[in-house]
Amino acid sequence: MELLSARSLNFTYPKSSDQALTNIDFNVNEGDFMVLCGPSGSGKSTLVRLFKQELELHGERIGEIKYKGARLEDNDPFLLAKEIGMVFQDPENQIVMNTVMEELLFGMENLGFSSNEMRKKVAEIVHYFGFHHLLHQRTSELSGGEKQQVNLASILLLDPKILILDEPTAQLDPIAAKDFIHLLKQLNDEFGITIVIVEHRLNELFSIANRIVMLDKGQIKFDAKPRDAIKLFYSKMDAYLPEASQLYLAFMEAKEASNVPFTVKESKHWLSGMDITLRSTVDEEEASYINKTLLELKEIDFRYAKHTKPVLSNLSLAVHEGEWLAILGGNGTGKSTLLKIIAGLKTSQHGKIKYKGKKIKKMDQKRIGYLPQNPKLYFLHETLQEEYHALGEKHGKSDDEVFELVKEFQMESLLHRHPYDLSGGELQRAALVGILIGNPELLLLDEPTKGLDPAFKDEFAKVIQSVRKSGVTIVMVTHDIEFAAKHVTRCSMMFQGDVIVTEKTTTFLKENNYYTTMISRITKDSHVPTVVTVEEAKTHWLMKKELLSSV
Amino acid sequence: MPRGFRSFHPFVLMLYYIAVIAGLMINQHPFFLLAAFICLVFVNLILDKGVELNKWKYMILFLSLFVLVLTPIFNQQGNIVLWTVFSREIYLEAIIQGFMIACTLSGILALFTTFSIVITSDKFLYMFSKVFPKWALILMLALRFVPLFRKRLSDIQDVQEMKGVSMKDGKLREKAQNGMLFIQILLTYSLEEAIQTADSMSARGYGLQKRSNYESYAWKLRDSYVLIYIIAFSLLIIIGWQLHESVLMLAPTLESIALEGNSWFYLIGWISLISLPIWTEGKEVMKWSFYQRDL
Amino acid sequence: MANEKGITFVGVAIFFLLLMFFPDLIIEHYLFISILFIIAILMPSIIRTSRKNMTSREMVMLAVLAAIASVSRIPFASIPSVQPTTFVIIASAIALGPQSGLIIGASAALISNMLLGQGPWTPWQMVSWGMIGFVAGLFAKSFFMKRLTWRLIYGFIVGFLFGWVMNLWILFSGFGELNLETFILLNTSSFYFDLAHALSNVFFLFLFSGVWIKILNRFKEKYGVFGDGG
Repeated sequence: MELLSARSLNFTYPKSSDQALTNIDFNVNEGDFMVLCGPSGSGKSTLVRLFKQELELHGERIGEIKYKGARLEDNDPFLLAKEIGMVFQDPENQIVMNTVMEELLFGMENLGFSSNEMRKKVAEIVHYFGFHHLLHQRTSELSGGEKQQVNLASILLLDPKILILDEPTAQLDPIAAKDFIHLLKQLNDEFGITIVIVEHRLNELFSIANRIVMLDKGQIKFDAKPRDAIKLFYSKMDAYLPEASQLYLAFMEAKEASNVPFTVKESKHWLSGMDITLRSTVDEEEASYINKTLLELKEIDFRYAKHTKPVLSNLSLAVHEGEWLAILGGNGTGKSTLLKIIAGLKTSQHGKIKYKGKKIKKMDQKRIGYLPQNPKLYFLHETLQEEYHALGEKHGKSDDEVFELVKEFQMESLLHRHPYDLSGGELQRAALVGILIGNPELLLLDEPTKGLDPAFKDEFAKVIQSVRKSGVTIVMVTHDIEFAAKHVTRCSMMFQGDVIVTEKTTTFLKENNYYTTMISRITKDSHVPTVVTVEEAKTHWLMKKELLSSV
Repeated sequence: MPRGFRSFHPFVLMLYYIAVIAGLMINQHPFFLLAAFICLVFVNLILDKGVELNKWKYMILFLSLFVLVLTPIFNQQGNIVLWTVFSREIYLEAIIQGFMIACTLSGILALFTTFSIVITSDKFLYMFSKVFPKWALILMLALRFVPLFRKRLSDIQDVQEMKGVSMKDGKLREKAQNGMLFIQILLTYSLEEAIQTADSMSARGYGLQKRSNYESYAWKLRDSYVLIYIIAFSLLIIIGWQLHESVLMLAPTLESIALEGNSWFYLIGWISLISLPIWTEGKEVMKWSFYQRDL
Repeated sequence: MANEKGITFVGVAIFFLLLMFFPDLIIEHYLFISILFIIAILMPSIIRTSRKNMTSREMVMLAVLAAIASVSRIPFASIPSVQPTTFVIIASAIALGPQSGLIIGASAALISNMLLGQGPWTPWQMVSWGMIGFVAGLFAKSFFMKRLTWRLIYGFIVGFLFGWVMNLWILFSGFGELNLETFILLNTSSFYFDLAHALSNVFFLFLFSGVWIKILNRFKEKYGVFGDGG
């Protein structure tokens, strides 16, 4: 049954000449698990927000949206609020109450449920989610993944028929993201709740969804089953596909979509029928950089207060000059604290720091650039121009020198914009230019790829590589193993406040069983040479003809 | 503790505080006030072993001294001159009055240290929302924002320090200016982000109709008993006050300070009212110690 | 609407005139007068605000400002008696109007006290900051608040008034037995704190009020809220 539909829908934001959505024809059937994807700014968020009447999107709308066959405007607003639930991107901003219990009650109170009803429903949902331990906690104390689950629970309490989710996992770490997606699958399977999800990360979703809709420049490119979608993604947008499929498509023709693997298991099956050897002429990758130590931390201990647990204990780490080092590890292992120690924002209680061979007490912050997880916090002024000008003055650079940098990063056209009006990728580049005005020797990146779409990630990597070429050493804290695998020279793994291993990226990922890329998991312990990224496979693998037995 | 003083209905608890504050202000008699202060120290001890009170001890000491010293200097009304200091007469009446004001202030402060323990912000907001539902919701939202903004503020301070903008050194003027710049970033950023919070409220049906209110605090029979208890003793205190049994007359002539006849009756009533937390809470402590001994 | 403004205006004026010319009267019957005063001036606005159908965006904006007003003292913890809370309240009130100023000011006081522990001064602080916001909002559109000089004067005066009203709780506890001299003495003992407060208000208003009002007005437009300055 058709639940939600749009007929020749057009939408234009006020003061904007371009249409955000053009001629959208679209329908969601009951029980669907639909994924909406597309590059940033393709109109995905606008589309899903239009389905939620309460959000009162400002702008001009032409065309109709229907819920259960009746125009949205003709439906009972109470019913719409109840039956169409919406989860947004940032788990932090959606929470409105101080404790989990209050947060769960919030929606029900809005819709006038009685106390008895509320008590019963909360008991049910707490049981289903296993929230007992969270119920009386402050919402500010929850992890990102827990916050997003509380958001979801609070909406489920209203008994929605359809859940609309706008990049719900973009701000979560990979494990929390996976848990969240599986929770959605469970809701779809066990309760038949219809799901429409906007996402960039499709690794898990491909095998769960039953429809994939691609949006580009405000138009629907295609609307297909996952298997059929593969063909349509191929060539242009293949960065959206799961790595397993990307690997397949790098070597095989996409003619028969039915064979394309989505998961590690399917890929392993496919590879078992292949004969692959190492290319003999593989030139060892850039051995060009010298292992000269730039920064050395030894036996660092750190705790925030006397009575709290140590965050870093006996940590040692060496950063080489000119490298791009990634610091990986789960939540709460002390990654961000380590970055703060390196940045000189915190002083360790025990241990030595050596910079360029000299022992120092605290890092000199003038030598360091720090790109925060949230680049918006970087800007003090109303336009980029003013910001750069002030920074130039501070570091004794003329406007011309500053403009050189601006040109190098192609920011000329954005100079007069307010920082907050930039897109996620632009904002990062803008902050980076500001940092580079100070000529740092060491650049620290804190989770730079969070919430970026695949295209922006690649662009960002290019920018960082060029910064690195100019002689800047880069240390990055990240959860994004796939990104690290593609670009980083060495990886450090943190566990319980200590760096337990630092190795060259490929060695590191090849040795790990669980904390590694999908490609590595596919190729590890198989008869084919182990690789960690699709690119590596492309350069290192020599594919002979298919073994006859597999046909 | 699910059955101690704190477990009574917020409105009952609030009434207790109102009654005790009013009592502290009308029972202007040194013995009544001193007894009240001592009782309130015990209330503090039984509620949290005096941790909160300990934080406020300097404030209590300072204010008491302030009043004890200054009242006799400034209050020039009375009949019994004790000393003359710098051509100012120090009257016994004024000293007694200073003592009473000091006791009242200390009593009120000692009462308020228990207020945050007993009437937690949840209970306070619950009562607030009964009177001003919209405003209470704004307060709840703001309370939710506070930890978030603290986190953001410390992030902002870090990021800006790396840019060379900090409050760690420099002139006072510069420090204050930089501090305000941090708040300004917090303002712009948080207002931008808060649109999503508003959307999330609307998406869950906020503003469609009158909100209902989850009754986190059900009225139980024991609440009625305690309510009657508080009202009965409050009435007693008001009667005592009206009959001047619990007030020490300073003018036109100083009364005898000693308590006589009926005054003792009203004093016992007054102490019974204040020490309500002591036995409701103490009963639980006893119950547990017996229970554990039986094991 | 205009009528209400008028009533409030007259009420405030009478109170301050009384305070200036007949301080004895206020001190002697201040309990009665303050309670009357609070009821007469603030209640109608609070009730009106509580009845008004506020959109979620308006609610959130008020909550953000109240929270910022109370959080804003954290970075200044290292500088004694400098806190920008009063500045935040004045700037918000000028941009959003008297009712909002009142709610932001009073809420900021309540929240600070909820975090630091309620005291007998809580109601007085609510009234002080509430009034500071209310009056600033009331004159937002008149020359009084549009000119920087007047804003600075206002900031300076309320710095002292705030301290004085806060001292009232001590008098309140003495149930009228304390006389005017004690009150004045109390105020002189807090003179340096009040002066620091007044000066920091002037400092912040001088450097930041323009930018803040601009930022708040931009968001007002962006959110599409507080259309009629209420």
